[in-house]
Amino acid sequence: MSAASKQVTHVEVPRDGVRIRCQGVSKYYRRTAVLDAVDLEVRDGTMLGLIGPGAAGKSLLVKIICGLVAPDEGHVFIDDIDVTRLRERELQALRMRLGMVFQNYALFDFMNVGENIALPLRMEGRSSETSIRNRVAEVLEQVALPGIQDKMPRELSGGMKKRVSFVRAVVRRPPIVIYDDPTGGLDPVTSAKIFRLLSDMKAQGTTSITISHDLDGIRPLCDQWLLIEHGKTLFSGDTSAIDQCETPYVRQFWRGEPA
Amino acid sequence: MSAHPPHKPNVLELFLAALGSPFVIVGEQFREIFKVFGLTVQYALHGRRRWKEVWLQAYRIGNESLVFIVCVAGSLGVTLVYQAGLQAERIIGDLTPLGGLYLQILLREFGPTITALMISTRVGTGIAAEIGSMVVTEQVDALQMSGAHPVEYLVVPRFWASVVMVFCLTCVSVLVSWLAGLLTALLAFGVSPYTFATLSFVIPGDVILLLMKTTAYGIAIPIVAGASGLSAHGGSEGVGWATTQSVVNCSLAVLFLDVLLSGFGYLVLLR
Repeated sequence: MSAASKQVTHVEVPRDGVRIRCQGVSKYYRRTAVLDAVDLEVRDGTMLGLIGPGAAGKSLLVKIICGLVAPDEGHVFIDDIDVTRLRERELQALRMRLGMVFQNYALFDFMNVGENIALPLRMEGRSSETSIRNRVAEVLEQVALPGIQDKMPRELSGGMKKRVSFVRAVVRRPPIVIYDDPTGGLDPVTSAKIFRLLSDMKAQGTTSITISHDLDGIRPLCDQWLLIEHGKTLFSGDTSAIDQCETPYVRQFWRGEPA
Repeated sequence: MSAHPPHKPNVLELFLAALGSPFVIVGEQFREIFKVFGLTVQYALHGRRRWKEVWLQAYRIGNESLVFIVCVAGSLGVTLVYQAGLQAERIIGDLTPLGGLYLQILLREFGPTITALMISTRVGTGIAAEIGSMVVTEQVDALQMSGAHPVEYLVVPRFWASVVMVFCLTCVSVLVSWLAGLLTALLAFGVSPYTFATLSFVIPGDVILLLMKTTAYGIAIPIVAGASGLSAHGGSEGVGWATTQSVVNCSLAVLFLDVLLSGFGYLVLLR
């Protein structure tokens, strides 16, 4: 590991407590802004609810935060490190501190469940094969899916895939986790199980951003909210502020009222 | 939504834009291919060694292409020797040099290049489709979030496997074409098989040229196909686009390298 990569992996929580900060993040596709000067801050141990209608740019914003997509303007800081200025090797090192649950599971279809979950640990290169196997069994047990290591992703139901995707994201115990629509397309019982997992992660001190359309489910979990529409920030603030917000669209979206 | 230009284009981008959108697309593809090439060399030399995956890819590229290559090489041998025999019989009337010259042209040109073109269609499309579908289903993003680089994890094992297996398949292809040619010459023209078992027309430069070509093709195919797959976007339509792009680009890369290396060979090795 290079000196720069070591610096990226061994960072402390910033003094102001802000672990994720976006400043004026914009992204254009064919001269059209799909994200327009978005700002956000997520403090240590808190959860930000990133909400908005479909195609608002929510998933794009979290991909920019993780360094998967480069913004055209603006900066993203994770633990005071400017993600937009990192080289690929440094980004790889930084991502060891991040976990992400993808909207459509994104399980590797050529690997079984055990290999899917073990990959982040193998890439980290710190654990023996025995401890990796034990950790995989342990996290599967935690999400009530014991003994499914040898199954292929195609053999799992949607809820099981989501939980496997969840444990793959948190198996390294990252301090920052991004959840992109963790309950999308799931039945209420499975959704409740996922929200319980999110709640457990928050209780363990994880800093997170959650994209969800299930406002009832994430309302008790999130401390801060960012509502975007067509790439523009419509609301940013805490739960009491969004409760009292008088902007018609924000009120309508937050309360689920028809137009 | 506001509208702004995302960035100022550089001189090359402006030049390509002035030529027309097809040139812009070609320029983007060249840039992607050279980027993947650079990363592949970097990770092949300094990345993690995943020999188990290299073995698996070698099996897929080599063993699973064997029947296809044998069929193509066999029919090529039959057709080439039959047509060459007809012409030689009509023009010079002597078919004794046919076998030796046929072996020479197999080693210099047809063996490596036709095999590489076949591998481009059989293997290149597979690589592009596999990586392309991983891109559009966010598996490549998940790979990056796991701490792996997609070029290191997906392209480098295919690169090592391809370098070895293109050479092995070319050897098989040359052997099968030669045997098919020998049988065709014997059955169609009554040419003695002993005239095929001569190395009198083959010089060391032919073998060096074959080695150079197989290595260059082995490097080019996974890189060009990988670059096509990694530039896939959208949904299944994007995967289809990447696959088509892979066939076209791999074939063009093989033919371009053939012209380049043949030129070098005739100027330096075969004088």
